[in-house]
Amino acid sequence: MDAQVTRAGDTAALRAPTGFRSAQRRASRVRLEHIIMGGAVVSLIVLVVLPLVFLLAGSLRGEQGLSLEHFSEVMSGRLYIAALQNSLILGAWTGLFSLVIGLLLAWAVSRTDVPAKPLIRMTATLSYLSPPFLTAIAFVYLFSPNAGLINVLMRDIVGLPWLTFNIFSMTGLVLVTVMHTFPFVFLLASSALQSVDASYEEAAQILGASKLRTAMSITMPLVAPAVLSGTLLAFVNAIALFGSQAIIGLPGRVVTLPTRIYALFDYPPEYGLASALSLVFVIITVAALYVQRAFLARRSYVTLAGKGARPQLMALGPMRWVLFGFALLVFVISIVAPYSTLVAVSFSKSWGLDFWKNLTLANYRFILFEYNVTQRAILNSLMLAIVAASIAVLLGAVIGWIELRTRVPGRKLLDYASLIPLGLPGIVMAVALIQFWLAMPLALYGTLAILLLAYVGRYIPLGVRSANASLRQVDPSLEESAQILGASWTTTMREVTLPLIRPGLFAGWLLVFVPVIQELSASILLFSSSSITLAVAVFNLYETGYTEPVAALAMVNMVIIGIAIWLAYRVGGGGIAARGGREGAIG
Amino acid sequence: MAGISIKRLSKHFGSRDTDVAAVSDLDLDIKDNQFVTLLGPSGCGKTTTLRLIAGYIVPDAGTIHVDDRLVSAPGQVVPPDARGMGMVFQNYAVWPHKTVFENVVFGLKIRKIPAAEARRKVEETLALVNLSGLEQRYPNELSGGQQQRVALARSLVVEPDILLLDEPLSNLDAKLRERMRTELKVLQRRTGITFVYVTHDQAEALALSDMVAVIHGGRLQQYGTPADVYSRPANRVVADFMGLVNLVPGTVVAARNGVGTVEAAALRLDVPVPDGAVAGEAIEVAIRPENIRLTPANGQRQATATISDRTFLGNVSEYYATLASGQVLRVQTHPLQLFAVGDAVAVEIDAAQCSVFRRSPSDPVLLSSVDGAPQ
Repeated sequence: MDAQVTRAGDTAALRAPTGFRSAQRRASRVRLEHIIMGGAVVSLIVLVVLPLVFLLAGSLRGEQGLSLEHFSEVMSGRLYIAALQNSLILGAWTGLFSLVIGLLLAWAVSRTDVPAKPLIRMTATLSYLSPPFLTAIAFVYLFSPNAGLINVLMRDIVGLPWLTFNIFSMTGLVLVTVMHTFPFVFLLASSALQSVDASYEEAAQILGASKLRTAMSITMPLVAPAVLSGTLLAFVNAIALFGSQAIIGLPGRVVTLPTRIYALFDYPPEYGLASALSLVFVIITVAALYVQRAFLARRSYVTLAGKGARPQLMALGPMRWVLFGFALLVFVISIVAPYSTLVAVSFSKSWGLDFWKNLTLANYRFILFEYNVTQRAILNSLMLAIVAASIAVLLGAVIGWIELRTRVPGRKLLDYASLIPLGLPGIVMAVALIQFWLAMPLALYGTLAILLLAYVGRYIPLGVRSANASLRQVDPSLEESAQILGASWTTTMREVTLPLIRPGLFAGWLLVFVPVIQELSASILLFSSSSITLAVAVFNLYETGYTEPVAALAMVNMVIIGIAIWLAYRVGGGGIAARGGREGAIG
Repeated sequence: MAGISIKRLSKHFGSRDTDVAAVSDLDLDIKDNQFVTLLGPSGCGKTTTLRLIAGYIVPDAGTIHVDDRLVSAPGQVVPPDARGMGMVFQNYAVWPHKTVFENVVFGLKIRKIPAAEARRKVEETLALVNLSGLEQRYPNELSGGQQQRVALARSLVVEPDILLLDEPLSNLDAKLRERMRTELKVLQRRTGITFVYVTHDQAEALALSDMVAVIHGGRLQQYGTPADVYSRPANRVVADFMGLVNLVPGTVVAARNGVGTVEAAALRLDVPVPDGAVAGEAIEVAIRPENIRLTPANGQRQATATISDRTFLGNVSEYYATLASGQVLRVQTHPLQLFAVGDAVAVEIDAAQCSVFRRSPSDPVLLSSVDGAPQ
């Protein structure tokens, strides 16, 4: 590793005797790179570390100074325990179903001759990228107990009331959440299944082990770490999604941790309790992610092999059509149903069984040209996403560069700090930012600035990871050869490093842009009427009962995301969605 | 114990557009208790042949019998788990999630051997491969050579009649490879198991085998003892693959009863010639570098050459000797025999050790042949 590190000090020392001019240049060079690096470190502290410190402090500040009263209330109050229970139940069921669906589809795609594999892969990618709160809204349009289209159809037209389904329930919540989380298992499991060297299985086979025995005693143990890791990611992401839990859970009286924290901000806001509950929440997600990292670390032996042949595909015979039917069902439920519903609603005058008799563009006209709140929301979100993605990627590039190319003490710590937000549910991030910035003399609360801080803070891990991955592709000797020719740090960066990592950084930029444009969990606590965002506007319109315009606004949201993803595929060759699946920040 | 009989075996890979014949029309008779090597360059079809024997692949045509039992035919294949063979993979395929003991005992568990007996057998086999005491280690705590021996023990413990080995030594360093080579040979003699061994290393094949099957382009080129394939190569491909060789173009001067006189690059040699060779036919003479003797030129009726390059290799000295015709010969001599570049030398060739092949204009120039000046 040592050889890979640019020894800035050494080079400077070698150059110092060559004359006054270079000594002067060295001084200015050192100053500039130190300012940039120092700036990145300070940003990270302000964005992530200090808000967490204030969150902790806020949770411990009682009526009379330091106390654990908030924690004892959170751990004993009936409402809080119910929320905790519901979150865990939701996470457990979602994890289980994600495991079953994700693993089955992954096995089908990587080990069998099931037809339409591209469709299955696309289903997983689109499900992962679809904003979960929009899927939730779409399902309410279909399955709300009284007015849901399919419920009305079954009850009033077909006359089979037992075929109706109440989406406002834990079952409904699990259904909607699983659609977003099964891709975590799918992506990790399919890549693990594909990387298991065929010779491991062949070796068992020639010793007399049947196909089933080989699968159980060789393949399963080898891919188990990846599968369990995907399941834990599904769990962590499931419990952190504010949008679907508010839209589906609250009407069904299924209150969870994010929605309970949200309720604590009703007037008068209970900052201390919210902070304590947030910390309990963080402990759960961090514990789960810690176990997940440990699993993933053990996974190393799957990728160790690699010279041997690829596993042979299993011929399923007629069973392949059963498996295909299952994949098709997942595709219809997670993609076709929600998307076509939103499209249909957005063009209807009034949503109902005969919506197709009165199609209209009025909803789009309303949200795009008439209603200034939605206009403002679209512009705010676009602007915030562009700025947040740019800052996150630039910060990420500097932090990644410090970690890989310098020997600054504590650089590993910096890397860990930049990963913290992966364990922070969006709403917890919001509570932490509120605690921090309310204590500061700057009036940021309710401005676009605090939203920007939240977004950059939440998605900084994506920026760091992208920059890190790109920088690893650039051999340090490329930078060193510029330096030996006399280029300063700034020149080397501008002429060599940045151009080389630019495609990776652009991919990272889109990787941040997509979740920011649909961010709801943190925004819901931080927005004001002037700083309203797209996702918040959708949520508020929905809550106020603007059924049809909500769908139109949702479509606008989808179109923006669609363009970004299309760009990502054009630029990054399709790897972005898969990378997002492993690195994605949580709801 | 068991012999293997392969008849007219063929296997193609790929779609209609990119159809590649991995093995074509291969006949091979492997006797019980033999150490047989499938030798050839990478991509020649030797691994495919091995995997066909193991039953991982279904042949397009032909049959494989083990003793008198048909195990492979198109659309009719006994699966690998029902063949009772053993296999050692190129990357060892030692399961990383199992300890050494768990790896080795796996096959015994499948055979439902009682635990105590299984434990005894595992210990015996590990002792056989010099791994005693490492039972509880995980593969990542072992060196490459140790992993290789775990793979070997795992295959041997179930006492297969046939052991298939796919380049098992190719991932080891030179010293270790040498040692494992000896151990494998001893092991085969001791156990009497039929070994089918795939390698691209001709030295390994010569050192280990009772019989060598040289495969090239999916076809069997020659099947014989190591001495046979080395000194009596069936064609220029085998001659070229089995070590260094000078391929010198020439013509037949006279031929009778399989012996003839040929003229090649101003050399006249009395050598064995192919059946039916007639005077005037274009041929190639394959001369191994160690079968050429150089002596100081003394003006007698000898072929002479000039030393154009010299390399000291330790156990031999290698010379490039340019004949009057311009033909360059690669010669290996005793290291103490020293000539300088530019020296005139007399060239003597042990004609009985040469091989003669028919030459057609389309024959490609082989890599190791010496056609021009040294590089």
